[in-house]
Amino acid sequence: MKGVVFTEFLEMVELKFGLEVVDTIIENSNLPSEGIYTSVGTYSFNEMVSLITSLSDEVKAPMGDLIYAFGLYLFKGLGSSHPEVIENYSNPISLLYAIEDHIHVHVKKLYPDAELPTFKILDKSDNSISMVYSSSRGLYRLAHGLIEKTFEHFNGTATITYELLKEDGTEVKFDIVQNG
Amino acid sequence: MDNKEITLLKRALDRQVKARKQAESILEAKSKELYDTTRHLQEVNSRLENLLSEKSSELNEIFVNIVDPYVVMDLMGNIIKMNDAAREFLGCGPDEEVDLSSYVHKDYIEYTYNSFKSLVEVGTIKNYRPKLVLKDGTIRTVEVNGSIIYDENRVPVGAQGIIRDISQESEIKELLGNQRKQLDIIVENSPLGIILTDNEHIIKANNAIVNLLGYSIEELKKQSLDAISSSEHTTESQKLMQKMDDGELENFSVVRTFIKKNGKQLFTKTAVSAVKNQQGEIDYKVIILEDITKELEAEEQLKASENRLSSLIANLHTGILVEDEDRNVVLANKMFCALFEIEAPPHRLVGINCENAMSGNEHLFKNPDFEVSRINKIIQKKDLVLSDEVEMADGKTLQRDFIPIFNKGVYNGHLWTYTDVTISKNYKRNLEVQKEKYSSIIANMNLGLLEVNLDEIIQTVNQSFCSMSGYTEKELLGNKATDLIKITDSDTLNSKSEKGLKGESDSYEVEVLQKDGTTRHWLISGAPRYNDSGKVIGSLGIHLDITAQKQLELQKEALVKELEKSNVGLQEYAHIVSHDLKSPLRSISALCTWLNEDYQDKLDDNGKYNLSMMQEKVEAMDSLIDGILKYSTINSDNIENSSVDVNEVIKEITDIIYIPEHVKVVVTSTLPTIYADRTKVHQLIQNFLSNAVVHIEREKGLVEIGCIETKTHWQFSVKDNGVGIPKEYHEKIFKIFQSVGNKERSTGIGLSIVKKIIDLYEGQVWLESEIGEGTTFFFTLKK
Repeated sequence: MKGVVFTEFLEMVELKFGLEVVDTIIENSNLPSEGIYTSVGTYSFNEMVSLITSLSDEVKAPMGDLIYAFGLYLFKGLGSSHPEVIENYSNPISLLYAIEDHIHVHVKKLYPDAELPTFKILDKSDNSISMVYSSSRGLYRLAHGLIEKTFEHFNGTATITYELLKEDGTEVKFDIVQNG
Repeated sequence: MDNKEITLLKRALDRQVKARKQAESILEAKSKELYDTTRHLQEVNSRLENLLSEKSSELNEIFVNIVDPYVVMDLMGNIIKMNDAAREFLGCGPDEEVDLSSYVHKDYIEYTYNSFKSLVEVGTIKNYRPKLVLKDGTIRTVEVNGSIIYDENRVPVGAQGIIRDISQESEIKELLGNQRKQLDIIVENSPLGIILTDNEHIIKANNAIVNLLGYSIEELKKQSLDAISSSEHTTESQKLMQKMDDGELENFSVVRTFIKKNGKQLFTKTAVSAVKNQQGEIDYKVIILEDITKELEAEEQLKASENRLSSLIANLHTGILVEDEDRNVVLANKMFCALFEIEAPPHRLVGINCENAMSGNEHLFKNPDFEVSRINKIIQKKDLVLSDEVEMADGKTLQRDFIPIFNKGVYNGHLWTYTDVTISKNYKRNLEVQKEKYSSIIANMNLGLLEVNLDEIIQTVNQSFCSMSGYTEKELLGNKATDLIKITDSDTLNSKSEKGLKGESDSYEVEVLQKDGTTRHWLISGAPRYNDSGKVIGSLGIHLDITAQKQLELQKEALVKELEKSNVGLQEYAHIVSHDLKSPLRSISALCTWLNEDYQDKLDDNGKYNLSMMQEKVEAMDSLIDGILKYSTINSDNIENSSVDVNEVIKEITDIIYIPEHVKVVVTSTLPTIYADRTKVHQLIQNFLSNAVVHIEREKGLVEIGCIETKTHWQFSVKDNGVGIPKEYHEKIFKIFQSVGNKERSTGIGLSIVKKIIDLYEGQVWLESEIGEGTTFFFTLKK
C-alpha cells in the first residue's frame, strides 16, 4: 500500500483525535516500519489494518465508520496534491466514470507497483452511475467516502447506496444518483 | 509544555525526520534509475532512427520496383498505397479510391473473411488464394502473402500484402492434375505391364504387372528387376542396360524371361526407356512388359507344324511340285524327283524354270507332244484340273492334279501333284479278269446258286440252278423262291432260312418238288449276304442235287439193318447148333464108354483101340464146337474194358493150362497193365501159350513171353523152340478151321479167335518161324 495513504491517514488521526492518539496507535500496533511513512514509499497493507484496528480500539468507534471518515478526508489530500486530475472533469459522474480507464492509468504511471481496486461500470446516465467495486482489501467504505466527497467537490450531493456482493466486502455494488 | 507532550513531539519529529530521509533516499534511487533509463532510451532511439531511415528507403525502393502488385490497405480494405504493378493489375487510376474487398469473387467471401480474421490475430498471412473479379470482368486467381501494420502503440492500423497472379499457374496445375489422372488411368488399365525403376529398385508398378508376375506392389518395391528375371536372357539385356547407362541408347526392347512368384516363367517383350533429367542423367527407367508366352507358344507350335508339314510333304507318296507365276520351282518333294527320274535332291530344284527343264525331258512321257501341249494349255487356262491320267514311257500311269494358287484373287503360281496309279490301275484290270473268271465258274459249275433278298425274292440264279429246278432263269428272277420251289418239309427250311437271315451259315438237306413234280434231294449251303456296311441284305444258297447219293444211302441203311438182323440170327443159330450138336456128341461119348465097359472081355485090342479113338474124336468134335461158339461171340458189342495187369493174366493161364513137364514158360520183361477186356486178353494169350507149349518135341522146351512199347501200341511176343511152321501156312493159320499138322487136339479155330480179338483192338498179328528151330508170334494191341 502506497505511503501516501498512511501519511494521509495519520494526518487525519492527528487532526481529529490529536497527536497523542497518533502516537498511541503507532506504539500499540507494533509496526515493522515503526510508524515511519513517506508518501513515495510502499508499505504492507497489514500495517494499515493494524493502525485502523488500534484506532478503533482507542477511540471506541466502528472500523467501517473510521474508514468512511478516512475516505472523506483522503479526497481533499489527493485533490490538493494532484489538482490537474480533477480539473479534467466538469462533473462528478464523468469523473467516477473515468476512474478505471483514466485516473488509475495515471496512478500506474507514477506508481507502477500500486495495487488499485477496480471499478466496473454497470450503467451510466447524465445524473446517475452504477458500478461494482472490487478489491482484495475490502475497503469499500473508503471508496464510499471518496465518492461522497467527489460530489461535494463539484458542489453537489448524491444519494449513494451500496450492496455487498460478497460478505467480506471485496465486491460491492454502488448505485449513485446525483441530487438536484 | 509538559514532559509527556515533549516526549510525544520528539517521537513524532523523529518519525518525520526519518520519513524525510527515507523519502530522500527513495527519490535519489528513482532519479538515478530515471537517468539510466533515459540514457538507454536515447541510445536505442538513435539506433532505431538510423535503422528506420535505412529500412524505409530500402523498402520504398523495393515496393516501388517490385514486379508483383503490392498494396497497403486499412483494416476496412481501402487501399492506402500501392505500386504500379498493383495499379495495372487492378486496373485503377492513380488517385482512385479502391476498396479491395469489392474485388473478391462471391464464392470466396467467406474464405476471405476467415483469412482476414486470422491475419489480424496472427499478424501475417501466407498463401491466401482467392479469386478476384477485375473491373473488366475477368476472373483471376491470386496468391496473397501479407502482414498487419501496427501503429506505435501496437494497434493494428492496416495491412500490406503482395499479390501474385497465379491464374495461369493454377490452370496449368489443374491441367497437369487432369493429365496425370488420365495417365494414371491409362497406366493402371494398360494390359501391358509398366514398371518405373531408378537404377536399383522398382518404384512403381501397375496392376498388369501384379497380374503378370503375381507379386503385390509392396513385394515388388523390395525387388530389383534382375532379381525377378530368369538368368537366360539377362546378359544381353544387361549389355543393353549398360549401353543405356552410358548414354548410347535412349531405349531398347528385348525378349526377357521373368520368374513369377509361383516360380513359373513369364516370357515377355520388354521395352526399356530412359527418363533423363535436365542434366542428361538417367533418373528413371520406364519398363514396359508384354506377355508373349502365348505368342512364343504359338510360334513354336507354328514351327512344329511347319516342320511336320514339310516333312509330310517331303515324304508324301504323291509327287508335289509348286511353281510360281513365272513357272519357277518353289517346292518339290522326293516323290516328284523319283517319278520324273530326277537325281538331284528336291531342294536343288527350287528356282529352276520348269518350262526350260521340261524341254529335253519330253521322252519321259509316252506321248511327248500331246503331254507338252496339254500342260501348256492347262497353265494358260489356270483352271483346276483333277485326275488327269498321264502315261509315262516306262509304262507307269500317273494321275495328275493341277491346282492354281490365288492369293486374294491374284494368280500366284500353281501346284502339280502326281500320284503313281499304275498298280491300282493294273489291280483294277486284274480284278475285272478275276471277276469274269469267277462269273464263268459260277455260271458253269455243277452247283445251283440262288441269291434272295430279305423277302426271299430271287435276285440271281445260275444255269445249274435252272436245270436243277426245272425253271428257266426268266421264270425264277423276281419271284419268291418258296412259291416256285416246293419243299416237302417246309418247317425245316423256314427255320434254316431264318437262321440264314440272322447271319448264320448252315448246311442242310431238303426234299423238293421240281417243276415237273419229281422229287429230288438237295443239299443246301446257306450263307447271309451283307452290304457294304455289314448289314444283312439277303442270303445266298448253294444247291447240290444229292438225289442219287441219297438213294444209295437209303439202300445202305436198309442193308445194314438186314445184316444186323442176320448177324443176330447167326449168333443164335451158332448157340442152337452147338447145343444141339453137343448133346448127340455126349450121347456118343457115353455109349462108347458103356460099350468099352460092358464088352471089355469080348473086345479084342483092336476093338478097344477103335473105341478109344472114337472117344477122342468125339472130344475133338466137342472142342471144335466150343471154339466155333467162342469165335462167333467175339464182337465189339460185349467188350467190357478195364485195367488189366498182363502179368497176372499170364500167371492165371500157366496155372490152368496143361504144360508138359519138359517145357518151361519164362516172362523175359515186365509186362504192362493195359486197358482192355480181361476175358478177351485171357483168351488171346491162352491161345498163343497153349499152341506154343504143345508143339515142342525137344528134350528141353522153352517159351518166352516179352513186350515192347511203341507209340500207339503194345507189342507182345511169344517165342518157342518148337517144331516151327512152314512158310506156306503163315497166312493160312489165322483162317478158321485151318491148322498145321494132324494133331488130334487142334481144332483150327484158336488162331482165328486170336485174329478176331486183335482186330477188335486195332492190332496186328504176324509170326516168324523156322522149321526145327521154333516160332515167334508177334501181336500188337492199341493202347
